Amino acid sequence: MLSYILRRLGLSAAITVLAVALLFLIIHMIPGDPVSTILGPKASPELRAALEARMGLDRPLPVQIGLFFMNMLRGDLGLDVFSNRPVTQIVLGQVPYTLVLILVSILWSAVLGIALGCYSAVNRNSLGDRLTGVLSVSVIAVPAFVVSLYSLLIFAVKLQWFPAIGAGAPADWGDQLHHLVLPSLAIGLSWVGYIARLVRASMLEVMGEGHIRTARAFGLPERQITYGYALRLAILPTVTVIGVGMGFLLSAAVFTEIVFSRPGLGKLVIDSITTRNYPVVMGSVLVSTLIFVASTTLADIVNAILDPRIRAGK
Amino acid sequence: MTGRNISWTRVDMPRRAFLKGATMLGMASVAGLSLPRAAFASGGTLKTRTYADIRSMDPAFSQGVVDEEIQAAIYNKLIQYKPGREWGWQPDAAAMIEQVDDTHINFALRDDIGFTNGFGAMTAEDVKFSFERIIDDALESTNKPDWGPLDHVKVTGERTGTIVLKNAFQPLWSITLPYIAGNIVSKAAFDSVGGKIDTQPVATSGPYLHAGWEPKQKTTLKRNPDWKGEPVAYDEIQIFHIDDEKAAEIAFEAGELDFTRVSLDSVERLKSSPIEGATLEEYPSLYYAWVGMNLDNPKLQNHKLRQAIQYAIDVPSIMAGAYFGAAEPSTGIIAPGLPGHREASLTGTSADLEKAQALMAESGETNVSLTIDVLNKSANVTAAQIIQANLAAIGIALEIRLHEGATFWELGSNEDLELVMNRFSMTPDPYYATSWFITEQAGIWNWERFRNEEFDKLHLAAQSESDQAKRAAMYARAQDLMEESGAYKFITHESTPVIYRNSVVPALRPDGLPLYRYFGAA
Repeated sequence: MLSYILRRLGLSAAITVLAVALLFLIIHMIPGDPVSTILGPKASPELRAALEARMGLDRPLPVQIGLFFMNMLRGDLGLDVFSNRPVTQIVLGQVPYTLVLILVSILWSAVLGIALGCYSAVNRNSLGDRLTGVLSVSVIAVPAFVVSLYSLLIFAVKLQWFPAIGAGAPADWGDQLHHLVLPSLAIGLSWVGYIARLVRASMLEVMGEGHIRTARAFGLPERQITYGYALRLAILPTVTVIGVGMGFLLSAAVFTEIVFSRPGLGKLVIDSITTRNYPVVMGSVLVSTLIFVASTTLADIVNAILDPRIRAGK
Repeated sequence: MTGRNISWTRVDMPRRAFLKGATMLGMASVAGLSLPRAAFASGGTLKTRTYADIRSMDPAFSQGVVDEEIQAAIYNKLIQYKPGREWGWQPDAAAMIEQVDDTHINFALRDDIGFTNGFGAMTAEDVKFSFERIIDDALESTNKPDWGPLDHVKVTGERTGTIVLKNAFQPLWSITLPYIAGNIVSKAAFDSVGGKIDTQPVATSGPYLHAGWEPKQKTTLKRNPDWKGEPVAYDEIQIFHIDDEKAAEIAFEAGELDFTRVSLDSVERLKSSPIEGATLEEYPSLYYAWVGMNLDNPKLQNHKLRQAIQYAIDVPSIMAGAYFGAAEPSTGIIAPGLPGHREASLTGTSADLEKAQALMAESGETNVSLTIDVLNKSANVTAAQIIQANLAAIGIALEIRLHEGATFWELGSNEDLELVMNRFSMTPDPYYATSWFITEQAGIWNWERFRNEEFDKLHLAAQSESDQAKRAAMYARAQDLMEESGAYKFITHESTPVIYRNSVVPALRPDGLPLYRYFGAA
């Protein structure tokens, strides 16, 4: 198991370096001059040259990448070109908002999705199964921004049950949870349907396997067979999907953070790309990549724990 | 729509008389004869919105209205913009301010303004430090041009001094002293942190205190208990950073904002289905949008062709289609209410197809195909589509090229640029508008590469001209020259629709931007 985890961690490090280098190149290749954006229209040529030098933009691109990685290893992601605040501080300040949003969204959608999937599989072809199927496919097809807008109009404007903007007072957990309801609904809703369909299909496949038939033949209770044996195996693809899904959730968080005016990584990335604030773009991208790589790695490790065939490399 | 015609209140007044008036007004205010003002309720929280996060609380590095909206509430200036429908200013930290000649402005500070965090009373040394640091090359302030020909500030007493200019500079009263570069900071406070600050003020002096900043979320201001000036209405102001206007509108409808700007395409809906307990008001904006033509491009060398394009563009259609009827056509780069605003443009606002076709025939050009570069905002894209249809009517095929923000603003250096749908921000002085179109700016912000010696001379002379009528005529002539070149078709100054709860008495600049220190509660 240890060698499997070490192999997986090594691969994750390589993926991170490659992804960050690629994104560094893409960001520096797109048109747009950060110096003009930062200094505004009134800046003199001397001022522009000085800032270019300070940002290291006058150096060759390979040197810039090299410097970025060297500084990154020291934990120094540079300074925000507008406010001069350390990028590490800015990015880490936004990470909790996005992480909490994603985790809460995935948590409630996984709990509901798995429950619905199990119910559908156990009650195959029943009215409830069909109803769940229709609802699941319907919510999968609805994009997060549509859910965001309609939930805002219904629950924030019309009913005024939940707040429309912000993330809540920093020290007030209740207020923060209150502010999380609509954004996490927007992000998580389509995942409920997706997970429900996935779990149902996996469960039906597993329920037809030999060891389940054997368990039934031995007269084990149906509840134990379903939740103790079948679900444990059927959940494997769901865990993988949830791990990979973190990337998609990060993208969905961008829309949601803008629509709900929530702070977070997505909003930070968009703002910094439009202003060509390179240090903040790179810092945000690095952290987003790390979150994505960490979640897929974690999903792989959980899979390996649940399924001995994986850690044996079979 | 109300109050669309704004004017700089002092325009027609001889400068001496105006300054005498200003001096007396300032003294009266200090003597306790407070300015006429509505009786406001006091207390509570004002929740409002700004379209972006702050960048700097250092006046030397602030770049626009987002920072200034907060700075104007937490710092003091010698003079501040006066809220209302007409441009003007009123004394703030100045008990007396008087321009004694073209290059000398005497001032005396009020004796009741102090800095927070124990940095003492505001003195003339603070004024000297605040203004001179911006023109100091070592600081690399992006706002140095706002101070124009400032030479130095002479301190003549603890609270008195003289601003000394190298030459006359009229915009000083309209865009320097009452705007970003006019904020007065504490010399001792800045010295204590090495000479400059970022997003956290070290010491403030205004009626509100900077109580907190949650990045990407909100800035909180609180009533300054030591403020001795005109009392402010709110205990707290929460300024939420909401980029998207639609999100801000939803937040307003959900009761989470008391004041916000709304999008132009929402004006009709908000008029036909008003929000209960709220008021929608439209203010004219100073922004100017136009279609520019690159005079250096070989495809646009024919003057008749450029004129044909000018006459073919139907601005009223653009107002209806792209601005939802919530904006008016413009006649130039200088908005109504500012010196130099023209009542009419040379080429008119409605398309004159007959004339355009005749000019096209005179040009001898056939099978013309051109491109127009556009920022990917819905108003611009729709406007470009209407222009495409307008030009098709005179046989010009127009290809629309969309760009994201940072890419678009790099196009100025592109020599192959043909037509461009452009939009610049503006401050309330015509000097700011013409400064981007001088020869020196060709290929930088003068994307049309318009080079005109007379225009350059007018720009230079008008900034020092003290006779306001003459000054206005100079700027009007400058815009004539722009239009005569065939490189410009002026579109609109847009507008600023705002919505607020009836419990709020907003205090806005004539272009609809908020002056929070003057906001009241009904």
